[in-house]
Amino acid sequence: MSLMGMRTTGRSEHPLLPAGASPRWLVRAAATSLAVAVMATSAFAQAGADQVAVPDLTGVWDGGFRARPVNGPNMPWVPGENFPVLNERGLAYQAAFDEAIAPKYDCVPSASPAIQYDPYMLEITQWPDRVLVRYEKDDQIRTFWLDGRETPSNDFTVQGFSAGHYEGGALIVETTKFAFDIAGFDDYNGIPSSQQKKVTERYWREGEELRMTLTVEDPMFLREPVAYTTRWLPGADGYKLQAYDCDPFEAGHPRKFLVPKYR
Amino acid sequence: MLSGEVKEDVVKALLWMSGVVLIGTVLVTSVGAHHASAPFYDPEKSVEALGTVTEFVFRNPHSFVYVDAVNADGTTTAWEVEMGASVMMSRRGWTPETIKAGDQIKVVGQPSRAPGTFGICCAELTKLDGSPLRP
Repeated sequence: MSLMGMRTTGRSEHPLLPAGASPRWLVRAAATSLAVAVMATSAFAQAGADQVAVPDLTGVWDGGFRARPVNGPNMPWVPGENFPVLNERGLAYQAAFDEAIAPKYDCVPSASPAIQYDPYMLEITQWPDRVLVRYEKDDQIRTFWLDGRETPSNDFTVQGFSAGHYEGGALIVETTKFAFDIAGFDDYNGIPSSQQKKVTERYWREGEELRMTLTVEDPMFLREPVAYTTRWLPGADGYKLQAYDCDPFEAGHPRKFLVPKYR
Repeated sequence: MLSGEVKEDVVKALLWMSGVVLIGTVLVTSVGAHHASAPFYDPEKSVEALGTVTEFVFRNPHSFVYVDAVNADGTTTAWEVEMGASVMMSRRGWTPETIKAGDQIKVVGQPSRAPGTFGICCAELTKLDGSPLRP
């Protein structure tokens, strides 16, 4: 029997209704339940909106010369400001380093914390379960997983494993599981990074700009965490990222112009 | 001992060998933001090469233009001029055809450090009349 066809007088005979429940009681109960449900949903949505306000990071962003000073031996790690303090192991590696050994001369891609400051374009796409960042430099793609998946235990890669979440109108990303890299902290100053490197990035919008603060921890080489903040400007309308297609010969071509440190 | 005049002539001849003119400069830069220039090129010196383009390689992470320059003594030096990444240059309108084999150009930049090499970086490229070489 449907609700519309229920009797209008007498006690309820429906096994799921309380004894004595009249149709009027039923309507009141339904209305009350609906109101409570609406209020609860609304309150939840409001609380949820506060907790997971998602900044609009999607688009093509320009990290080139018009956005910030070009990278180099003093940028973004500025002596006297945020330049890292190396432990003895880090200093020993730095002393042994020579330019010829830097993996970039064999087309090994740039990694965190350098790739974010390379003066190229990048494209961000936001999905419910992940954020994809495609870098024009070295054709790299990083995936920031938002779905809470577990960090792989034994998968060490150039770009590492990234877990992200939204917080306070920003995207927070923690990346670990990097492979050891002889120039993985800074290839301009010959500073390595280890598989203990942890990179934390916070991305947010500041008007039309994309901003990011990046912090690096690596107890194998750094005495303390270090950080820099930078920005991207909106890419030109309609700009599509080009293929980088690193040429192995041209990447290593400058090596012949070095005075070798080792023979 | 050489007289002052002879000494000056020897110095001039040395300078002109390989079409090189050394000028003191202080330039510190990076090459297309891929690597620092100082380990490879001497920012304290400047070199000038006038000659004929034999090839323009428009690639990442560096483009190169190859220039044959005839020296005062009749010999030819094959210069290798390092330029920026093609993805960056293309945003400024450069294409693989912007410089062609056979073009006559003038290159002024920092000379490479390794003995016996003829690299140039951080260079200003112009046509022989001094007008800028650009897309």
